[in-house]
Amino acid sequence: MSSVTQIAPTPVAPVVTRPRGRRRLRKAGWNVLGLLVLLVMVFPVYWMVATAFKPGHDILSYTPQWVPAHPTLSNFTDAIHTQYFWDAVKNSLIIVTVVVGLSLVLAFLAALALAKFRFYGRKPFIVLILGVQMVPLAALIIPLYIMMSRLNDVKGVNHVLGVDKLGGVIAMYLTFVLPFAVWTLRGFLLGVPKELEESAMVDGATRFGAFVRILLPLVGPGLVATSIFAFIQAWNEFIIAYVFLHTPQKQTLMVWLASFTTLRGTDWGPLMAGATLCSLPVIVFFLLVQRRIAFGLTAGAVKG
Amino acid sequence: MAELQFIHVSKVYGGDTPAVRDLNLEVKEGEFVVLVGPSGCGKTTALRMVAGLEEITDGEIRIGDRVVNELAPRERDIAMVFQNYALYPHKNVYENLAFGLRMRKVSKAEQQRRVEAIASKLGLADMLHRRPAQLSGGQRQRVAMGRAIVREPKAFLMDEPLSNLDAKLRVQMRAEIARIQQALEVTTLYVTHDQVEAMTMGHRVAVMRDGLLQQVDTPQRLYDFPANLFVASFVGSPPMNLLEATLEADGGRLSCRLGDTELELPGDLVAERPALAGYAGRRVAVGIRPEDVREASGWDGTRVAGRILLVEALGAEQLVHIEIAATPLERTELVDTASQLPGPTLGFNEAERAVTLLGRFDRHLLLVPGEAVEVAIDPRLLHFFDLETGVAIPTADVPVTVQVLH
Repeated sequence: MSSVTQIAPTPVAPVVTRPRGRRRLRKAGWNVLGLLVLLVMVFPVYWMVATAFKPGHDILSYTPQWVPAHPTLSNFTDAIHTQYFWDAVKNSLIIVTVVVGLSLVLAFLAALALAKFRFYGRKPFIVLILGVQMVPLAALIIPLYIMMSRLNDVKGVNHVLGVDKLGGVIAMYLTFVLPFAVWTLRGFLLGVPKELEESAMVDGATRFGAFVRILLPLVGPGLVATSIFAFIQAWNEFIIAYVFLHTPQKQTLMVWLASFTTLRGTDWGPLMAGATLCSLPVIVFFLLVQRRIAFGLTAGAVKG
Repeated sequence: MAELQFIHVSKVYGGDTPAVRDLNLEVKEGEFVVLVGPSGCGKTTALRMVAGLEEITDGEIRIGDRVVNELAPRERDIAMVFQNYALYPHKNVYENLAFGLRMRKVSKAEQQRRVEAIASKLGLADMLHRRPAQLSGGQRQRVAMGRAIVREPKAFLMDEPLSNLDAKLRVQMRAEIARIQQALEVTTLYVTHDQVEAMTMGHRVAVMRDGLLQQVDTPQRLYDFPANLFVASFVGSPPMNLLEATLEADGGRLSCRLGDTELELPGDLVAERPALAGYAGRRVAVGIRPEDVREASGWDGTRVAGRILLVEALGAEQLVHIEIAATPLERTELVDTASQLPGPTLGFNEAERAVTLLGRFDRHLLLVPGEAVEVAIDPRLLHFFDLETGVAIPTADVPVTVQVLH
């Protein structure tokens, strides 16, 4: 080790220092920008929660109160004791559960067909699914309303579908949840190499066994992402529920929230309390399932 | 363990694209047969038909004495190693190895015993709880092998299992797989596009092209007696030199004209290959292996004048590109074009056409590009092929003894 031949000249140190300082500055700039964006997004949520805890005179005072000075739960009790609250909770839960469940099953099977099988008209169908999502909802409401109201007269289906029926709203939510869900799940399914299923089949699994033991666990994160999307869509939707559900007992939570705004003005305290309550299920659902998203997908299955 | 048989097997995709045409092949019990050919030749399709992952359009595949055409993959009792390993990413190494046993309702204790035995044999014992993502390429390859072995199936099917490894690891795993196969004596059908892999691993090698089986034989006989131009050009690295020549009869003697040079075919050669006489006055394809192209000094044989284009030192020997005046082979559709050198570059003699010969020379020869050189070609070492059909003259069916060429 006495003589080491130098092959390439070592880089000179001072050249490196200045860009490093500049880079750090730029990084700090991006971080500040990120924090600003975060602030803009978080503030309305904070304001909603803060308002929910303020008594009425604090809410309407001209000097904004950043932190509730006299926190109270009265807004929450008011909101809960408002007429139809529990009806709305029940309706929303029914709608969301059915929409999430149905959309997962239907979308998964449809995506499976699109990703794994070749059939006539597959490509146009895929394009159609994408295209359907470009139609604005507002343009669909009137035709959908007409269709649904006609269904009210069709014997057999009018128990489930039609105007002022939860089933009708569920069907309509599915129409805009499904295309997205199919599209997303198809992507996840395409990410699972077909050799995995084939290998399982050679190893002794049936086609269905390979599907359950290999494919299903691997698209788990896709199912979670899709279910979150479906949940949020169905839970937060307002216009369709507002237009199609007339009877107060059949309203969803979002429509119920709107009832705090009357001709005489808006009852801000209970409204904010109600809104806070309404956002809880979404957060709870997300926390329950989000751990599954982080899982490393198909990493290591095949050399890539 | 069992033998594998393809009996007049064909596979047609979408009604009119034939992938495999009338394949007849037998893998004997305990034998290692390599199916080799350029990409798209139908070799993988053939393998997948044995596994049951591809339907058989026509013909019959037998494993042991059972016709398996209609059987589901799991009922065929074979194990397959995929090109990309296909390890289950959500299961750890132990679960991957045990999956096949679990599916076959082997008891938990027996599962554990067999998995641990295989794992220690393959050096995977201390990574049983890792996920495939945490393994290196070579380790994944071993898990894939282990998953096949642990089942103790009737046959192994391997679909290019080494093509995802880097060059060094590939050579290492090549020997390892061959050793495992020898130790277990499991009937193995191995698919690869790499002729070196095929030659080094297989007891017998089956060369396929465009869905047609070209030749099946031991690696050495495949190399020495290629049945046609395609096999001749595909097998061997560097590939056989191929050019066009005319066979001329002069009285009772037969000679072969390469450009300006006339190689007289010795009487015993003609006597051994009487079919050659039938080609008198016709053009044929002539092939010569690079190791049979020799620098003229110290060797017998007809001298051919040429010019050195390029010298590639390989360490133990040197690979010399020599341009000689001769007619290049124009029936490129009969050969494996991927293995052929690009056409002649600078004309040796502008008026004539030139062919680049590859020669494997002793490393001590001092050769300089641009220099004129003389090579010696022994007519006994030439391979002759029909220019129309590409079939060897005499055809491989004619018994040819080894002594003829040496």
